[in-house]
Amino acid sequence: MHRTGKPIDTRRFFVVSLNNIGGCHGSTGPSSINPETGEPWGPDFPSLRARDWVNSQARLADYLGIDCWAAVVGGSLGGMQAMRWALEYPTRIRHCVVIAAALKLSAQNLAFNEVARQAILSDPDFAGGHYLEQGKVPAQGLALARMVGHITYLSDHAMASKFGRDLRTGSFERGNEEDVEFQVQSYLRYQGSQFSGSFDANTYMLMTRALDYFDLAREYNNDPVAAFRHAQCSFLVISFSTDWRFSPERSREIVDALIAADRPVTYAEIEADEGHDAFLLPIPRYLDVFSAYMQRVGG
Amino acid sequence: MRLDLTHIQRWIKPGSRVLDLGCGNGEFLQLLRDQRQVRGTGIEIGEPEITQAIARGLNIVEQDLDRGLANFPDQSFDTVVLAHALQAVHFPDRVLDEMLRIGREGIVTFPNFGHWRCRVYLGTRGRMPVSRFMPYHWYDTPNIHFCTVKDFEALCEQKNIRILARDVVGNTERQPLLATAWPNLFATTAIYHITR
Repeated sequence: MHRTGKPIDTRRFFVVSLNNIGGCHGSTGPSSINPETGEPWGPDFPSLRARDWVNSQARLADYLGIDCWAAVVGGSLGGMQAMRWALEYPTRIRHCVVIAAALKLSAQNLAFNEVARQAILSDPDFAGGHYLEQGKVPAQGLALARMVGHITYLSDHAMASKFGRDLRTGSFERGNEEDVEFQVQSYLRYQGSQFSGSFDANTYMLMTRALDYFDLAREYNNDPVAAFRHAQCSFLVISFSTDWRFSPERSREIVDALIAADRPVTYAEIEADEGHDAFLLPIPRYLDVFSAYMQRVGG
Repeated sequence: MRLDLTHIQRWIKPGSRVLDLGCGNGEFLQLLRDQRQVRGTGIEIGEPEITQAIARGLNIVEQDLDRGLANFPDQSFDTVVLAHALQAVHFPDRVLDEMLRIGREGIVTFPNFGHWRCRVYLGTRGRMPVSRFMPYHWYDTPNIHFCTVKDFEALCEQKNIRILARDVVGNTERQPLLATAWPNLFATTAIYHITR
């Protein structure tokens, strides 16, 4: 997305892309050392909300000497942070790009996050979050959590066309004792094991909780229109037709609230088979719409 | 720029708020923004048109008129424009009601099916007219609700819609006299400024 000639053209924009606090790929998080104890923070790492990330990003902007962003761009949880930016720092953002996001999680979203967390919690190696001190990794729990998550990122159609009912091993032949393994099973296990080797379980707990707690309009009397009246920027909202995690309906709620709040908004619903994952993929119309809008941002 | 669009500009007040239903590539909204400082929003479903309109720096919402406009609050725009789209929607009467709920005034343009060429075509050949202006066949046309000048005015009367002004586009740019005198026969495009 950001590179020479891409929608966020680095010849035109100074791009700041960062890892959230509480994460496990650079920023301080549960696997960092707590200076008071000399041990990893683990489950005692302070719980975070989307606004904490936004506030930390504002402090980074201060440090970098950036008074006002040309645009704050985010997909999914990033889109939620972008919207929070527009409300918390209305004078510091000119454009807000919200991709495959929602005003808040639905009960179904909360349910999937809970299953993922329970998978981690029920792994004995999680040890109440103190696995690092004990030299363990709750690999099985993390892998299961990722498998559940991954199902919600893909559409029925994407899974059907990617794997169908193809077999990786085994056969349906009678008298054959070898168990059948479907391609989709092997794919999910692979995704799970890759993830459990690279992601911190306490970070997973923290991030999914931050998602669960996010509700853009809660402090505005649960009225998204009243919330968006605090914004002063222009908005681009993008959704994907087969995304059932944050479906086009969720994006239209954002758009409708912006319209009712009389804020400049552009909305595109991209036809894509890939489900929620689509926001990470180079889909031609997605790139066209995004590029056209970024030209306006830079113009 | 299509002729009906140059005609209706003068009905739009500088600095006002305009909603353009079926805004296409945003050519008209851009003109209004650049020449009349209009704050505009466009509604469109054509994918290439939406991208072009975004590239023009306009606010465009991808939305199907046939699914309604309930997301737009009452009286939230000064003028709502429906240019060459009335004949392509499923419920033209409901769209008119919605236009005047959302906007104080509406501007509607449509191809006049009462034009003498249409009548002659249908009268002599007995087949649905196909012309330079309406290049589609009956089975593949997006224009599913053709009407005449008289039809439209009858609907306005039935709905208590007040016609503030009527304008026409004739066959040739230089000879609008016939079209002005006998619009139902000679107007190729009818243009209405309406309110309630």
